[in-house]
Amino acid sequence: MSFLTLSNVSKRFTDFDAVKEFNLDVEKGEFVSFLGPSGCGKTTTLRMIAGFESPTSGTIRIAGEDITERAPSQRNVGMVFQSYALFPNMTVAQNIGFGLRIRKESEDALRERVDEMLSIIHLEQKGNSYPYQLSGGQQQRVALARALAIRPQVLLLDEPLSALDAKIRLSLRAEIRAIQRQLGITAIYVTHDQEEALSISDRIVVMSHGRIEQVGTPFQIYNFPETNFVAGFVGTLNTVEAEVLDSKNGLLRMDGVQFKTSQEEMKGRSAGDRIRMSIRPERFSFVTEQNRKDNVLDCIIENITFLGSVVRIQVKIAGVIFNMDTFNNPFLELPKIGDKHQVTCSQEAVMVYSGEASA
Amino acid sequence: MSVASRIRKFPFWSWLWFILGALYFILPLYATLDFSLRMERGAIGFKAYREAFADLEFLETFGYSTLLAVMTIIVSVTLIVPTAYWIRLRLPEARRLVEFITLLPFVVPAIILVFGLIRVYSSPLEIPFTEIQIGTPLTMLNIGRFHLGTNILIVAGYVVLALPYMYRSVDTGMRTVDVRTLTEAAQSLGASWYTIIVKVILPNVRSALLSGALLTFAIVVGEVVLASFLGIPAFGPYLFLLGQHRAYEPSALTFTTFLITWAAMGIIQLVTGGQGQTAGAH
Ligand SMILES: Nc1ncnc2c1ncn2[C@@H]1O[C@H](COP(=O)(O)OP(=O)(O)OP(=O)(O)O)[C@@H](O)[C@H]1O
Ligand SMILES: [Mg+2]
Repeated sequence: MSFLTLSNVSKRFTDFDAVKEFNLDVEKGEFVSFLGPSGCGKTTTLRMIAGFESPTSGTIRIAGEDITERAPSQRNVGMVFQSYALFPNMTVAQNIGFGLRIRKESEDALRERVDEMLSIIHLEQKGNSYPYQLSGGQQQRVALARALAIRPQVLLLDEPLSALDAKIRLSLRAEIRAIQRQLGITAIYVTHDQEEALSISDRIVVMSHGRIEQVGTPFQIYNFPETNFVAGFVGTLNTVEAEVLDSKNGLLRMDGVQFKTSQEEMKGRSAGDRIRMSIRPERFSFVTEQNRKDNVLDCIIENITFLGSVVRIQVKIAGVIFNMDTFNNPFLELPKIGDKHQVTCSQEAVMVYSGEASA
Repeated sequence: MSVASRIRKFPFWSWLWFILGALYFILPLYATLDFSLRMERGAIGFKAYREAFADLEFLETFGYSTLLAVMTIIVSVTLIVPTAYWIRLRLPEARRLVEFITLLPFVVPAIILVFGLIRVYSSPLEIPFTEIQIGTPLTMLNIGRFHLGTNILIVAGYVVLALPYMYRSVDTGMRTVDVRTLTEAAQSLGASWYTIIVKVILPNVRSALLSGALLTFAIVVGEVVLASFLGIPAFGPYLFLLGQHRAYEPSALTFTTFLITWAAMGIIQLVTGGQGQTAGAH
């Protein structure tokens, strides 16, 4: 049985449904991210698990116990906030020991646990500092230690890195993940940064408008997005409108150019249907002897942009511009803008979704 | 930072405006001090201070006003801290309304407040829309020679007058430390309401409370209108009266009150030194 369970959880604020029919099972020790655009209900869901909001309907269980109506202070759930929320009047050690003191642990046990947490977050020297004497990254590590010191059943993190600058964000997210693995704690991590979610999670819950769009491993979410929203939100995507030519053989037409797809979604469509077609930039490549198979497309080079390890080339196929990514290397022979070329992508790379193309 | 680098950082114009501003405040104060020291013809001395402090009535009225100020501070703190906290925590949508209410004492002159207070409290408690009356009028509530009713009345009036200052200090203090998130952090660590308020909230709004208390003190000790109309022997009316009969002593007392206020500010600085830093990114 799963460790943390949300069943049919909904939250309504006066006249606005912030979270709708949320169902999720999290295993013990698992690291799950909530990913979605601003306002999609990530924080609200997390706050319901913490007990700061109470669900309009549905139940939340931890280790089999129904905690839906339990006060936040009775839940044994650790919380890390975007704004750190360290107690300014207490030293680092007092902050970390706060929850233990409430649990009436002996002074010795308390000191030992605080030292242990300080060494886990590599701030052994800072026990007697006040929060305002620490950098943002250090403060957030202390907040993490404070939440973990009480040995919570579940650790909740609400965009813990978004107030930090890019370099620290990268190193701290790796550190959070390492500590979570080391302690084997179940963690829910809210973020609107898809790269962060992909790199840190065991599983990702992609949300939109208060609903779950898809739950899956980063690999599944990125490579097999189930809805057009997920495909568009996670990673970069070329999306165009196309017309079904032959649903049995997976043939589509866009601006007079024919594409072939292997996707099941095509079954049951009739010729002439309008459909959304999506292809990731990295699935395109220039045609060579080896890969000349499906979808060989004539194009004109429109623009070339260096993105560090990746070079993004904009190619115009018929009247439509597609992004194409290739790995950078010093021996790469780049085409010139305005050159005519041929690019290709496999039929598995052509994803189709129902509905009209929006962009 | 060294003096040299300071000067380089603040160019000529900044200094000019700073000095002009400072003069605007310091000159009248200096004039008061200078005047208060010239009671004896042709000599600089503290005669005015000696005479002013020797007056028993000064000590009585100042002591009484101090007591009123302390009572006012206690009442307004117990009233405002929980209110401001609850609004930050659970009723953010009520903040505009409460802010507007706390501004009313600026809009309604004190003189109107006086007549309102007297009108309401000098009649017996009436049950609305009936002829039934219960209790004695508040103004007639006395214990021996001690006018309890009037004292309650004046403290109530002072709480209203001090409301804008107290509420704003407390509310700003609560915003800078983000009491709502601190409360949630403490709750998730298992803290009870008592622990949250005593260990987390109060220590972090302490400097805001102190500055609100200081402002309240200054207002109450210098207040004239309410005290005169309720006919109580407070420091404000005393100073006012003294000013009509004497020349030098009021200046001496005015300067003294300034010193007391500054001393209080200094104490606050000392007590809160190093505290009151906001949580958040640096
Ligand atoms: N207390 C509240 N009262 C009314 N509406 C609320 C309340 N809290 C949140 N909402 C609304 O619920 C929706 C979801 O909010 P939530 O904070 O969960 O979004 P989020 O996914 O965390 O977004 P972000 O990435 O911006 O933090 C938003 O539209 C928000 O306006
Ligand atoms: Mg949020």
